[in-house]
Amino acid sequence: MPKAKTKVIRKDFTPEILVFCCNWCSYAGADLAGVSRFQYPPNMRIIRVMCSGRVDPAFVIKALKEGADGILITGCHIGDCHYISGNEYAQERFGRLHEIIIKQLGINEKRVRLEWVSASEGKRFADLITEFTNQIKELGPLKVL
Amino acid sequence: MYNDTLDYLEKIYEPDLRNLLKRCYQCGRCSGVCQLSKVQKYAPSKIIELILEGFEDRVLESGELWDCLTCNQCLKDCPEDINFADIVRIARYKMRHFANQNPDEIVAHKGIYTTISEIMSRPYITPERSLDWVPKGCKISDKGNVLYYVGCLPFFNYEFENLDSIATSTLKILCQIEKEPIVVFKEENCCGHDIYWGQGKLKTFIKLAMKNMEMFEKAGISKIVTACAECYRTFKVDYPNIFEDFNDKFDVKHVIEYIYEKWKENLIQFHNPNKKSEKIPFTYHDPCRLSRFLPKDNNIMEKVREIFKEFKDLGYDFNEMEHNQKNALCCGVSSWMNCNEKSKALRYKRMLEAKSAGDIMVTSCPKCRIHLSCLQDDFEDIASIEILDFSEFLINHIKLIKPDIKGEEKK
Ligand code: SF4
Ligand code: SF4
Ligand code: SF4
Ligand code: SF4
Repeated sequence: MPKAKTKVIRKDFTPEILVFCCNWCSYAGADLAGVSRFQYPPNMRIIRVMCSGRVDPAFVIKALKEGADGILITGCHIGDCHYISGNEYAQERFGRLHEIIIKQLGINEKRVRLEWVSASEGKRFADLITEFTNQIKELGPLKVL
Repeated sequence: MYNDTLDYLEKIYEPDLRNLLKRCYQCGRCSGVCQLSKVQKYAPSKIIELILEGFEDRVLESGELWDCLTCNQCLKDCPEDINFADIVRIARYKMRHFANQNPDEIVAHKGIYTTISEIMSRPYITPERSLDWVPKGCKISDKGNVLYYVGCLPFFNYEFENLDSIATSTLKILCQIEKEPIVVFKEENCCGHDIYWGQGKLKTFIKLAMKNMEMFEKAGISKIVTACAECYRTFKVDYPNIFEDFNDKFDVKHVIEYIYEKWKENLIQFHNPNKKSEKIPFTYHDPCRLSRFLPKDNNIMEKVREIFKEFKDLGYDFNEMEHNQKNALCCGVSSWMNCNEKSKALRYKRMLEAKSAGDIMVTSCPKCRIHLSCLQDDFEDIASIEILDFSEFLINHIKLIKPDIKGEEKK
C-alpha cells in the first residue's frame, strides 16, 4: 500500500495532541504558562502523572491507536527528578519505544517526542506546544486514507 | 476485490453458541482434564450446561470466559469433539461487543503487543520493520516464490532478548537450501492470532487477514514458511475459514515440516561438528498450536520426533517430558492473556518436567520461549535449562547434500 504522506499544511486540520506532564516540573511549567498568559494552541489535552517514569509506553501506543496525531511526554530535567531517577528511566524506555516500536510500525517518529520542562519554564512550555503542534500540522493527520 | 468485513465475519462467528454445543452429553470429562482447573476453579462442562440451558447472558456477564487458556486440552479429550476454546473465542467477541466488557487489565504487558497488532490492522499503517537481523550473505527480496513470514519477533525486542536469533537461524536455513532469494517483507503485518483468540476482536482479525492476503498476492509467493506455531496454525486453519482458496494458493509450512521434507528428499542431512563424547540430554515442548490445535491428519508432532531420533548418533539424547505431544502442558499465557500467579504455577510445573528430562528444551513457538524463559529469572532451580527454538537448535546441525555425491553420502 502506498503511503500517503502529505507535506502541505492543511488549514482545516486541527491535530489531536496528548501531553503527559509530570506533577513536579512540567505540570507546574504548564501552570505557569497559563498564569503568565503565554499563548499556545488549544488542541491538546494534558494528562498529569506523578513522574515521567510513570508513562508506560503502552499508554503511548494506545493513544496512537485511539487516534492521537501527536504525543508529547514531558518531565523534569535530568538531575532534577523528584524521585531522583524517574526521568532517566523514562528516557531509557522512550528510546526503546521509539526505536523498536514506533519506527517499525512505520509511524513518523516526530509524532512522539520526549522533552524536559522545569517548573519555571512557562515560556518554554508554551513555545514547545506551539512548535510541536505546527510540526504535527505539517505531518498531517495520522489517519490518512 | 474481496467482499467486506461483515461477509467474512459470518464465516468465523456463530451468534447462537448453543448450536455448537448440542452434542455435549455432560460427561464432565473436559472439566476433569482442563489445564486451568489444576490451579483455579474452572469447569468447562458447567459453563456449557449453563449456555445450553439458556443462561448464556449470565455466563458472558460473569466474565469467566476471559480466564480460559484456550489450550484445547478439553477438545482433545472430549468424546464429542466439542471445541470449547472456539466457543471461548466467539464468546469473547460477544462479551466485548454486547456485554461491554474490556479485559484490558488482564492483558499482559499492559496490552502493548496486542495494541501493536491492532494498529497494524489499520489501512493507513505500513510497517517499516527492521531487517538488521538478516544474516550477511542471505539474499532476500520482496518478490518471489518462498516467503519467510517472520511474525512479531522484531517487536518483541522491545522487552525480550535474543529473539532475533530465531529469525536469523530460520532464514539461514532457508537460504542454505533454496536457490532463489527468500521473500521477507519489510512491511509485514501481524497474522492476527492474538486478536482472534485472546481479544475477541474478530473484525480486526479480518482486516489483518485481508491486508496480509493482498500482500501475499502482490508478491507472487506460493509458499509460506514460518517458525512461529501461532502464525502456522492461523494460516493453515483460520485464514482458509475466511478465504476458501487460501490453502490452494499458498502452501503453508512450519519450518519443522520444511526441514523434514528436505531431509526426506535427501537434500540435507544432520551432522554435529562439535560432537562431545558425553551425550547431551534434551527434550521438546509441544506448543498447543502445533499439537492440539491442528487437524487430526497433521503430523508435525511425529515429524519433529523423527528428526530428533537422528540426533541420537550426533551426541544428543532425546527424552520426552512427562506430558508430551497432545498432552503437553500449556505455557499459560496464550495470546498474552492471563499472566498471573496461577499461570505461573503452570509454567513452573512445565519447567520442572523439562528439568527432569534434559539440559536443553527445544520448542517451536517463540512465545512459549518468551514465557517459559521469563520464569527462569524468578526461580533459580530451573534457571540452568537452556530453552531454544527449533531453528536455533538445528542451525548448526544441518548440512547440504551435494547433488553429485549424494549417492555416496547416503551410506
Ligand atoms: S467432554 Fe465433551 S461431551 Fe463431555 S462434558 Fe465436556 S464438552 Fe461435553
Ligand atoms: S481450553 Fe484449556 S483452559 Fe480452556 S477450558 Fe479447555 S482445557 Fe480448560
Ligand atoms: S503468531 Fe502471534 S506473534 Fe506471531 S505474528 Fe501472529 S500474532 Fe504475532
Ligand atoms: S510470562 Fe513473562 S513474558 Fe510472558 S506475559 Fe508473563 S511476564 Fe510477560
